[in-house]
Amino acid sequence: MKTVIYFLFILTLFVLMPAVIVTALSWVPTVELLGNSGRILYFHVPLAFLSVLSFVTAGYQSLMVLITSNKMKEREYKAYNAALAGIFFTILTIITGSIWAKISWGSFWNWDPRETSIVYLMLIYISYFCLYSVLKDNENRYRISSVYLIIAMIVMPFFVFIIPRMYNSLHPNTIINSEGKIQLEYTMRLTLFMSIAVFTLLYGYIYNIMNRISALEIKAEEKIYDI
Amino acid sequence: MNNRILNNIKKDFVIEFRNKTAISISVAFAVITTLSISLVSGATPLSPMVHSIIFWIILFFSAMSGLAHTFIREEEEKTSLFLSLHCTPEEIYLSKLIFNTALFLSIAVIVTPLYLFFLQVLPVYLPLFCFITLSGAVAIASVATIFGAMVSKAGSGSSLFTIISFPILLPVLWTTITVTAISIEGTAVKQYRDIVFLLAFSGVIVLTSYLSFRFIWKET
Repeated sequence: MKTVIYFLFILTLFVLMPAVIVTALSWVPTVELLGNSGRILYFHVPLAFLSVLSFVTAGYQSLMVLITSNKMKEREYKAYNAALAGIFFTILTIITGSIWAKISWGSFWNWDPRETSIVYLMLIYISYFCLYSVLKDNENRYRISSVYLIIAMIVMPFFVFIIPRMYNSLHPNTIINSEGKIQLEYTMRLTLFMSIAVFTLLYGYIYNIMNRISALEIKAEEKIYDI
Repeated sequence: MNNRILNNIKKDFVIEFRNKTAISISVAFAVITTLSISLVSGATPLSPMVHSIIFWIILFFSAMSGLAHTFIREEEEKTSLFLSLHCTPEEIYLSKLIFNTALFLSIAVIVTPLYLFFLQVLPVYLPLFCFITLSGAVAIASVATIFGAMVSKAGSGSSLFTIISFPILLPVLWTTITVTAISIEGTAVKQYRDIVFLLAFSGVIVLTSYLSFRFIWKET
């Protein structure tokens, strides 16, 4: 049963991903004033979503490390892998955002509140990896690094959702805004949400592979110690 | 307030007054930086935003050089185990938080007039300037307390403390720098909502730290 579900998952991912790419690049009408450069929206927004999702996943796994007494090692590497995937998606968000900023606003970097908030995420991930590497031989490593990720997850809404709305931003508020309405045409909205869903499936696929590799590494380590 | 918390705060103050490590390092750093900037800039007028940035960078690095010391001292002098036998982790956290906040507020009280005097700055909105300095100092102290504990348990120095604290403190620095510039310039609308933001941020950090401190403090 598990194999069948996994097969269907892979099939959905590998069918939908090319479909979303083709739809975003050819079917959806161009964005007013931005022209074809606006199509980067269907890749930039899902990547930003995954950066935040990885953050929440890492925080959740860290929380579970502290409140449950079983599977600590497993939860620890799951938190670490979520952070590792998170930094990868954050860097991709910054790159796609910078390209779009150059085309729309004239320069790669403008210190816009939302541009800055994604750099905060990246800095937090970098700090976490610094802390993790310092704690390499510390017996309390899983607890200290988990607390760091939990604090980071809890303060994340301040700089991802609150600060960008406190100051003037160049980014349009098309999805989360004060009117509570999505200001996108139907086809654009459909493609964007499809893209977010497919990228989330891709994230699940990558995260699953990373966790399986970590599990194998731990098993191999245990075998070496047994010998 | 719990007697053990009060005793612990008293103990920290007595030790601090005896050897004056944290306060002398922080104040010396702040004074040297302020005087150096004053000396270099001379009579050149700096914009309110530049003043605000310099002022908060001085306060931030003063905190980074002094605030982690309260936990690191417990580890260096091997008193953390004794402290754990005497107090619960929550009591230890609260006492250290109160001590760090008081210490950093005293540093801010010393550094702020010095900066205003030597760089000849007179904020137009003085109450807003005072409120933002106080609420910013509380936010920095609340973040520095929990990360000071982490660094002491990691057995690492102040460089790691700055690295892990900086990203979490960036929203605080961003807000305080913007509002301080407004209070010095006096041209924009007074932004008391930013003070609410800083107090909410400090509240969230303190609550999370209070709940998770035992996991850092107690070794497996």
